[in-house]
Amino acid sequence: MKKQFLLALVLAGLVNTKINAQKAPDLSGYWERRDDVGGGSFGGIFDKIIPKAELKPEVREENRRNAARQAAGDVVGFGSKWCLSSSYPFFMQHSAAWSIAQTDNEIVQVHETHSFPRHIYMDGRKHPEPALLNPSSTGHAIGHWEGDALVVDTVGFIGGGTPGGGKIGPGTRLTERFHLLDGGKKLSVTFTWTDPAFYVKPHTYELQYYRSEPGTYAFEEYCHADDPKQSGSVVAPPQK
Amino acid sequence: MNLIKHLVLLLAAPLVFAQTPNLSGFWELRFDSRNVPEASLTLDATKIAREQRAHDAHAIRWCYNLGVPFLMAQTPIDIIQNASGKEVAITFPYRGPSRHIYTDGRKHVNPDVFDPSSSGDSIGHWEGETLVVDTIGFSDEGVISIPGGGRRTVTSHLMERYRLVKNGQQLSVTSTWDDAQTFSKPHTYEFRYYRAPKGTEAREYDCNASDEERAKFLTGTPGL
Repeated sequence: MKKQFLLALVLAGLVNTKINAQKAPDLSGYWERRDDVGGGSFGGIFDKIIPKAELKPEVREENRRNAARQAAGDVVGFGSKWCLSSSYPFFMQHSAAWSIAQTDNEIVQVHETHSFPRHIYMDGRKHPEPALLNPSSTGHAIGHWEGDALVVDTVGFIGGGTPGGGKIGPGTRLTERFHLLDGGKKLSVTFTWTDPAFYVKPHTYELQYYRSEPGTYAFEEYCHADDPKQSGSVVAPPQK
Repeated sequence: MNLIKHLVLLLAAPLVFAQTPNLSGFWELRFDSRNVPEASLTLDATKIAREQRAHDAHAIRWCYNLGVPFLMAQTPIDIIQNASGKEVAITFPYRGPSRHIYTDGRKHVNPDVFDPSSSGDSIGHWEGETLVVDTIGFSDEGVISIPGGGRRTVTSHLMERYRLVKNGQQLSVTSTWDDAQTFSKPHTYEFRYYRAPKGTEAREYDCNASDEERAKFLTGTPGL
């Protein structure tokens, strides 16, 4: 009897080990960016680690015109004045920590900035048919595991921009690979943006995040568009 | 035979003893989802009802963070109960902060350090099959009205009890607000959320404070 119990104990241990070995990596928790390259600022880090997007000539020309307008004092975007929502991947570049909540069926990226959480469906669903796809600031994201890497495919963006000068539009596709480094202390995310309307070739770059200390908790960013100080962050533009 | 019996028991034991109910998924309120009695308010709270309505209208007009408890009634909500067991997150179809309920055994953040917020500082633990959530650290940001009457203030204390009912097809959330500034006795109400259909997806209801037509609608005379 005792011998059988001990044998069962060993077998159960083996089965549990097998079950655990098949579990997806646990990406949950808080993640934050750091300056590993001496960039001096978050923009400075990008200059050192993110290649410039290779854009089509007409897109480059549009960017040049916008830059000229800005240099002349025009305001190209009013997002900060009006506390408008920022689109993905803005919070992935932000200084604030962001977190991952993870279940078998869904992974959600939650952040502190003025934007929507990003839902990555892991339940095997497909993207909606293009006619039924509701464009959104975070797009429609579906994911699956390839070994230890979470691979996420996203379509259906409203628009926006990427580090390295890339653009995002309704026809943009984003492929990401999330995987843990250094025994789970770091998280690597490789972004690949494709869109024949903007890019000559896919725009790929990697960002790495450090796992925040245990006990880290979320802050709540607020923005008051009726506060003159908030509006004051944008100088009155000469254009109407 | 005994070997198999022992094996089954040993494998099942962690499932039986360690597994908490899984609240994850999308949940929505329907017309018959609310049991909200009238709150017993202090005299001071009764006097400022008009001011409170104006405060909430201003928050909506200017796209402030809306906060708890208002967001808990804006469905579908998405509950993501981390497999690690350390946190339960709740997201909403509105822009702004999600809720973070820490279930890793931590205590409330020291109030001297914590920046009060519209969703407060939430910690949770399991009592049998019920997730008990304790929240303090609220600010007066956003929509402060509480179902049944009263308002969220910096001294509010919210206790919530989440439990699955009807074979997991419904989620009961009982909320009890305690705040001597507002209530003459603790105010309790219950929402019963329906599990949203499989394949439900998150929505994004954005807010644009610069939209003049929207502002006119929200602040002008109805019908004009």
